[in-house]
Amino acid sequence: MPKQILIIDDEKIVCDMAQRILSQEGYEVEAFIDSTQALERIRGKKFDLVITDLKMENVDGMDILKEVNQRYPDTKVIMLTAYATLDAAIEAIRERIFDFFPKPVKIEDLKRSVKKALGF
Amino acid sequence: MTIRNRIIIAVVIQAAIICLICVFVYLSFNTVLSKLGVIEIIDDLNISLLEVRKSEKNYFLYGDVNALKEVVERGEEIDTVIQSSKADILKSLGPGTFNTLLSNLNKYLDMAREVLATKKTPVKFEEEFRNLGHELTRLSEVLLKRERRDVNRIISTSITRLIASLGMVLLFQLVVWQYFSHFLIKELAIMGNLIQMVSQGKLHEVAKQTFSPKNEIDYAIKALADMARELEKREAVLLQSEKLASLGILISGVAHELGNPLNNISLIAQGYLGLYDILGDGEKKNFMADVLTQTERISRIINNLLDFSRQKKQELREYEPEDIVERSIALVSNQIKISNVKLHKFLQPDLPHVYVDAPQIEQVLINLLINAIQAMPAGGDLTIDVGQDMTNGNLVVKVKDTGAGITKEDLPHVFDPFFTTKGTKGTGLGLSVSYGIIQQHHGDIAVESEEGKGTTFTVKIPIYQPKEREGDAQADIDH
Ligand SMILES: Nc1ncnc2c1ncn2[C@@H]1O[C@H](COP(=O)(O)OP(=O)(O)OP(=O)(O)O)[C@@H](O)[C@H]1O
Ligand SMILES: [Mg+2]
Repeated sequence: MPKQILIIDDEKIVCDMAQRILSQEGYEVEAFIDSTQALERIRGKKFDLVITDLKMENVDGMDILKEVNQRYPDTKVIMLTAYATLDAAIEAIRERIFDFFPKPVKIEDLKRSVKKALGF
Repeated sequence: MTIRNRIIIAVVIQAAIICLICVFVYLSFNTVLSKLGVIEIIDDLNISLLEVRKSEKNYFLYGDVNALKEVVERGEEIDTVIQSSKADILKSLGPGTFNTLLSNLNKYLDMAREVLATKKTPVKFEEEFRNLGHELTRLSEVLLKRERRDVNRIISTSITRLIASLGMVLLFQLVVWQYFSHFLIKELAIMGNLIQMVSQGKLHEVAKQTFSPKNEIDYAIKALADMARELEKREAVLLQSEKLASLGILISGVAHELGNPLNNISLIAQGYLGLYDILGDGEKKNFMADVLTQTERISRIINNLLDFSRQKKQELREYEPEDIVERSIALVSNQIKISNVKLHKFLQPDLPHVYVDAPQIEQVLINLLINAIQAMPAGGDLTIDVGQDMTNGNLVVKVKDTGAGITKEDLPHVFDPFFTTKGTKGTGLGLSVSYGIIQQHHGDIAVESEEGKGTTFTVKIPIYQPKEREGDAQADIDH
């Protein structure tokens, strides 16, 4: 069974592109522009990997991260953010986080990180 | 001079005047007393002389030698009295009269002694003797009168002088009181003014007060000025850090705003290259269209930033406010149509003209109208009310909605650049750009809001005053 990946970013292009490329790699990918809906989805389904933007309206990346860590201790989280501030990175690292990417994201790096996270 | 020193000087002068008056009174009483002593002596002398004259008269009436003896005895007594109080008598008679008195007395006594010794009365004795006696009494009476007159004179001048000096003391008191009250009131008024200025926030004017303090109130004023200077410094530091803080917000905002579309373009390009072989023509087209949208987004952000930093030149012209308002409403009419919002428009008739950059003011009103519409996703009432400020005639535009309102925490930040609660749908520049535009028009923009009830934005713009505004506009353009 293919690995399940959830992508959350309020930029539609990020969702589309990541979904497209990661599907190409053989993963099963769901993508959400609306983080509130994504949170609902997480509550209902366990993913192997969650890739989320940090700064979003209402429910932000930190909320997603906390929710995932609390519910699914073996689900990995990769965080994306448009501007990497030290504060955000430190806060994210305090929580259990697999990787952290400042935007603009290099697809090759992301692919490698995803592979590593899913144990290939 | 310090107030303390001024008071000391006033008190010392007062005390000195009172001391002088006391000395003067003492001296006057002293002369009066000594005069009274002299009067007593002269009075005695007078009485004794009258006695002598009585004996003299008896002698000539009855030829009684004993009477003549009595004349000599008493006369000698008088002589000793005169000799013993020579100093006093000399003072009031002067040496000339005194000597006449003394020599007359001696001549008189000598005549009497000679008659007693020779037992013969020379020719014309009676006449000369009587004349001498008469002269003696006359002199002593003159003396008495003069002394009495002197005493009266001294007493009356003393009284007038005393009254005059009391008057002087009172006058001095009055002058001192006047001086102090005037001086203190003046100084206190200065201080009161400064304190009022501080409370009105005109720190700079208070801080400007540099002078060398001369008295206690000056010191208080100086302390006040020092305080204002210190406050001003702190305010400047605060302002600077606020500026830096908003610069920080601006920079991180720009980074975030530009970071997202850049990331998107980068992802599209990477995807395009990576998936090139399996992408259909239609998909490749879509990718490029996405790139275009993202670049447009970037240029929109940059345009907003330019507005924000007010790089665009203002073009001021005279307009009727109605036109500007109507045009702004027309530009959002579509949005109103597709929403459930009902527009209410109140335009006061005969509004004064404004001298503005119309597209900019329209941009402000559009920002406010769109914000209001966005605040009422489920519909509501949007009111635009255009009138005049009662006090200065300035144009007042109120944009009011019955939407979600703004939380107390957000309210102070709505004019901050990049502050938005709308995620990627808002840049958070609308209000900060509007704020900048209104500032540049020497106007004012303010917000009132109650959560759950609605929000009112109030814009005030100075009315058109031909002469005054022309120079201003020129200055702005030069700037
Ligand atoms: N009428 C309003 N009612 C409620 N909130 C408002 C209103 N107007 C402004 N705000 C709040 O102020 C914030 C800043 O407004 P501003 O116009 O500067 O940016 P924006 O509307 O979020 O973005 P943009 O103007 O670029 O679309 C808004 O995100 C919103 O939270
Ligand atoms: Mg807005």
